[in-house]
Amino acid sequence: MAVKKFSTKYEAAWSDADQLLLCLDTGTWRTKRPVVDKEKCTYCGLCAIYCPPQCMITRPDFFEPNLNFCKGCGICAKECLRGAITMRPEGDFTS
Amino acid sequence: MVEKVKKLPKTFQYFKDEDAFAGGVAFCAGCPLELTLRLLSRVMGRETVIIGTPSCSAPVLYGQNVGAWHRLPYYSCLMTGVASSATGLTRYYKKAGKDVNVVCFTGDGCAADIGFQTLSGAAERGEHFIYVCYENEGYMNTGIQRSSTTPFGATTSTTPVGVAGRGKTTPPKNLPLLMAMHNIPYVATTTLSNVDDFARKMQKAMEKKKEGLAYLHVFCPCPVGWGIESDMSIQVCRMAVKTNYFPLWEAEYGKFRLTTTVANPEPITKYVKMFRKFNHLNEKELAVIQEEVDQKYAFLKHLTEFGEHGQTAETPASE
Amino acid sequence: MKAKQGELKVMTGNSAAAYGAMLCRPDVVASYPITPQTEVVEQLSRFHADGTLEAEMIEVEGENSAMNAVAAATLAGGRAFTATSSWGLVYMYDAVLQAAGFRAPVVMANVNRETPGILAVSSGQQDMIQTRDAGWIQVIVENSQEILDTIIMAFRLAEDYDIQLPVMVNYDGFYISYLAEGVRIPAREDVDRFLSVLKTQPQRTIMDPTRPIGAGSHGLMTEFMELRYRHCAALDRAKKKFDDIDKDYGDFFGRSYGGQIEEYRTEDADFVILTSGSAVGTSRTVVDAKRTEGVKVGLIKLRMFRPFPQEKLIKAIKGKKAIGVIDRSVNFGWNCGPIYSELRALTPEIGNIPILSFIDGLASIDITKPHIERVIDDVANAAKGKPYQAVTWIPLEERE
Repeated sequence: MAVKKFSTKYEAAWSDADQLLLCLDTGTWRTKRPVVDKEKCTYCGLCAIYCPPQCMITRPDFFEPNLNFCKGCGICAKECLRGAITMRPEGDFTS
Repeated sequence: MVEKVKKLPKTFQYFKDEDAFAGGVAFCAGCPLELTLRLLSRVMGRETVIIGTPSCSAPVLYGQNVGAWHRLPYYSCLMTGVASSATGLTRYYKKAGKDVNVVCFTGDGCAADIGFQTLSGAAERGEHFIYVCYENEGYMNTGIQRSSTTPFGATTSTTPVGVAGRGKTTPPKNLPLLMAMHNIPYVATTTLSNVDDFARKMQKAMEKKKEGLAYLHVFCPCPVGWGIESDMSIQVCRMAVKTNYFPLWEAEYGKFRLTTTVANPEPITKYVKMFRKFNHLNEKELAVIQEEVDQKYAFLKHLTEFGEHGQTAETPASE
Repeated sequence: MKAKQGELKVMTGNSAAAYGAMLCRPDVVASYPITPQTEVVEQLSRFHADGTLEAEMIEVEGENSAMNAVAAATLAGGRAFTATSSWGLVYMYDAVLQAAGFRAPVVMANVNRETPGILAVSSGQQDMIQTRDAGWIQVIVENSQEILDTIIMAFRLAEDYDIQLPVMVNYDGFYISYLAEGVRIPAREDVDRFLSVLKTQPQRTIMDPTRPIGAGSHGLMTEFMELRYRHCAALDRAKKKFDDIDKDYGDFFGRSYGGQIEEYRTEDADFVILTSGSAVGTSRTVVDAKRTEGVKVGLIKLRMFRPFPQEKLIKAIKGKKAIGVIDRSVNFGWNCGPIYSELRALTPEIGNIPILSFIDGLASIDITKPHIERVIDDVANAAKGKPYQAVTWIPLEERE
């Protein structure tokens, strides 16, 4: 048969995360980003628990959103009992 | 200045493993389904074979050619084949002496409609796997079509509102109740606002599946399909519980128990106004929904009071 | 090294299928009843109940579940078997496609029966024809002994590392399924030995719960085409592999069937007839009778239907003056028999000889000796250059 080279070694549609773990640039989706007021944070963890992409990084005394993956949904700000998180428009930031 | 408490919240104790999913995956912003899947992978651990099907979870559960979006072993199949493929996998693993956690992960469209036959068959045969159904009340991935668990009056793309249409005209199937009627070892309803409850029920399902099918029904509203603001997803879950629209209960071999009792349930109007899919309903139609919720809850309450030997609290044994 | 002769027992075709499957020690068996297959799953259940068959028996609630369960079990690394017929085959069609695409080495006995469209509880090969584009290997057998032997060969073929394709073993419902005749049952340890070569091959890809491997990834662009290409290439390899396995089976057990096709008295034949399934048995008798009258006719028995044994058929037919094909099914859209229409695709290689289509045997109408005599007479006339009818529906013309 004519075809000699194949791009994968599998006979069927197998995927292998060890070979290739895909990842989307979801940080580019958002139009607002969460800003954490460390003074108000009581480390209750609700923002980290409720964050759908689970992108809150556990720091020693507060939770920091991973801006590579934060989609800007605003759930963390809504669920924070102390109002320690506010959603600010992406336009306010240069990075 | 607030005291800094360095101990991690109690919920984190439920997490066995790191999140198995890549940092960025294709779920809508604020989607509770993303939270459901990520929490599932954290609580159940890496050696969970997850079976997915065309649905909102498919673009993330399924790989793309050789690439995958997560580090769980998975098996993808059509909606008709989810519970039956799980059957084949678990039976073989049993024969080979391997203890494997097989989890079916589907939406309500698969579980209640096209895949219900195979789910019912697997439940009756007492297959040893966990079936997680996320209830977003419709076929969301294909563009918000109605399923048999879509509530009465809901706007969907196949039950739209217009001169001749007022949304879905029939009440929904009570799928978790149907599953409990199969007398399987474990059925539970849960949602994302009560994460401890969700984690505990997942862990209990992992135990109970050793005896037969364990079924979890997760209330998982769809921000795009229901018209919810992306930051309100958890609030909607919470209100669904507070209005008894989605009571949290569990049943073991047909014996029911409420896991959360709401002392003063809120009226359904408070829930309905949090999103847009019921915006077109008038007072009479809203009253129909309120009655449905009340009736369903009263029936459930009655089931929980059903004693060991078929007696209610009032009926003495001699009669 | 030769196998023991094996015990001779009188049994139905369905029973032979169950014995064949049982001897191969499947890990998972899915059972759902449908006439005329029911006895297969009943016999397997009895084997399980009396301890002869140590398998996970799944009494599924529908054929769709049966195929999903066995395909998943093979992809987890096991050996699996199920059986079905017509309507059941159609109901499991989405899973049948999936099993082939996922390269799940399932073996399934399909007891040929007329498909939905007209309600019929009778024999016909339409169900096999209906699934010819599913990507499975499909073989069709003539009698009960061949069922048992072919099922053992089917496991050997399906699970071969170079193949990894599901195999459907077809046999005529009502004719072979319920007919009782003498069948030699190989000894279990001999079947183990025959299949043991599979253990020396590399491990095929399976669902390993300790690795992040996924079955059924979304196929995109050229990778999708590569997978289709691999699938077609594997089907192509299955032809020679089937011949080799048949030869090995003959060397070891003493019974072989010719592989992709069997040629009966074709070497010096002027013209040939081609058919499959139980009709072959009757055809042999008629060919012998015609030969005593001086008619130089030969018979080709089609055993492998998918992949289509082009090369073997070209070699067998080239030089012959005409060929008649007896189909037990119809080709919707071409208004002729399906195996006939596939054979016509070989015209460039076999030459522009008369090819005649005969449709017979639908709905358990017997393909009798007079029918086959008529077929041979018509093909003989065509071979002599006389005008002929391209497509003949024998039972309908007969009553006129």
